[in-house]
Amino acid sequence: MFRKPVSEKMSNFLFLIPGAGFIFIFLSFAFILTILQSFGLFSLIGESRFTFKYWKIIFEQEFIDSFLFSLKIGIGSAFGTLLFSYPIALFLRKKGFGKKTLGSLIKIPLFIPALVVAFLIVNLISFHGLLNTVLVALGVIKEPLRLLNDQFGWGVLFIQVWKNIPFQLLIISSSLAVIRDDLEDAAMNLGANKFQVIFRIIIPLSIPGILVAVILVFIMTFGDFAITKIAGPVYPNSMSVRMLTEAMIFQEWNRAAVMGVIIMSTALIFVAFYSKIAKVIQENKL
Amino acid sequence: MNLITEKILRKRKIFFGSLTAFFIIIQLIWIFTPVMFAVLWSLVDPDHPWSYPDAFPKVLSLAQWKYVFDYTNILRALATSYSVAPLAALLAFVLALPTSYVLGRKEFRGKSIISNLILLPIILPGMVVALFLSRVFTVFGLAQTYAGLVIGHCLMGIPFMIRILSTSFASIPQDVIDAAENLGAGVWQKIRYVFIPMVLPGLFAGTIFTFITSLEEFNLTFIIGTPTFETVPTILYSFLGYHFIRTNAAVVSLILMVPNIIMLLLAERLMKTDYLSASLGKM
Repeated sequence: MFRKPVSEKMSNFLFLIPGAGFIFIFLSFAFILTILQSFGLFSLIGESRFTFKYWKIIFEQEFIDSFLFSLKIGIGSAFGTLLFSYPIALFLRKKGFGKKTLGSLIKIPLFIPALVVAFLIVNLISFHGLLNTVLVALGVIKEPLRLLNDQFGWGVLFIQVWKNIPFQLLIISSSLAVIRDDLEDAAMNLGANKFQVIFRIIIPLSIPGILVAVILVFIMTFGDFAITKIAGPVYPNSMSVRMLTEAMIFQEWNRAAVMGVIIMSTALIFVAFYSKIAKVIQENKL
Repeated sequence: MNLITEKILRKRKIFFGSLTAFFIIIQLIWIFTPVMFAVLWSLVDPDHPWSYPDAFPKVLSLAQWKYVFDYTNILRALATSYSVAPLAALLAFVLALPTSYVLGRKEFRGKSIISNLILLPIILPGMVVALFLSRVFTVFGLAQTYAGLVIGHCLMGIPFMIRILSTSFASIPQDVIDAAENLGAGVWQKIRYVFIPMVLPGLFAGTIFTFITSLEEFNLTFIIGTPTFETVPTILYSFLGYHFIRTNAAVVSLILMVPNIIMLLLAERLMKTDYLSASLGKM
């Protein structure tokens, strides 16, 4: 191959500026400002001086409770959603009568804004909502269950799972679609049964897709504000709710910045974790 | 032998067909029960409250709808929402076009890094981005301004636009471009007769996605817009987060949700490629 002329490199770069540059400039400014403010610099209001004192927040009980709560909701939603989305993706993998209709029906929650989803599900799971009424009428439970604003966060989990199933389904389906049918046929010819095909071939080959799906849902639910605020417990708050309270109500922007850095880095750690695993898988596969 | 396999195959087909039908019914219940309850709540008559243990409201009326339109800022919020969204989509298109062209048709070092960086606005925790973007906006004098709202919404929607447009650019066969060149097409003719027709469906899809992302955007609007600007999502939040007013929330939910679903169904019908998978599938 011959080397590309400099002018083409230059024009590629210039063409990338409006779109990629626009995103990059705003996000990196926001990043840098968050990190600087977490160390007391560039405070915009009040004094600006380098200090670690705001980072002491991580030893406060309220912070630890929020962090653990968000972690629980994030992991719970990510795997709770997977419990539904993976079997559905497997079922929809092969074409069949009516599956297209089913596929588009399942996608609908993707098009419903998060706040509306929260409201829709709140109606169902509230103390005298449909779910409790039906369960009591059927005699499954004696007293209605407290699912909304409950201590554990079942309401939040329910809403997140309902909302994220189609999102995970989309990602997992496209990772299942690239698995070639030959592999499956070959295994069948060698005497493998349906379950062996699923557990030995399809699941291992779709692990990268599963990881992406799980990690993206984790990041979104870990940093969630609106749904936890509406359906979550009074205490502990999620990380984002706490961060916003610090910033907007107490005007403690430096403390909020520390929380912002922690939410971001938790998200980034999981992404890094993903790329590491994906690499290992790819190296071992072939 | 042949007959037996055929029989088994037919049985299988019937089994999977009925399984699909069963799942469709489950799915209909799973999706439409919550929506139906929102519709019912929006139609509750204020003089005949709907309370436990009534399974359905006793009297239906449009009084809640009238109340929301008469006594809340919904009309102004609708005007803001539906004027910011097209502007944000237009800005996203203008900014995304050159970037998508390069990402779709050129090979260069660091391409995959850039196409992943582009997704950051939709992947990163929304509230953190919103909160500290608001500080950046304050520095630039964009906070609490209409322009700031448009730029912010554009930032949240542009990842979809770039992803979808670059997929459309990538899907143009090089042969077609070469053929046009061989037949003596100039730059403008290539754009007019090759690029525009081939990219148009993707452009349409990208615009709809950006438009909808803007209509739904809550975090950033809440931080940089309130109290100067209200959009439909922030009004909904005020009925859900601050004071839980179920009937008003039901009305605003429907106002927010129904146009989105119609637009997306329309987009899906009009376009052959599955753009949703194209933009999100290969992350």
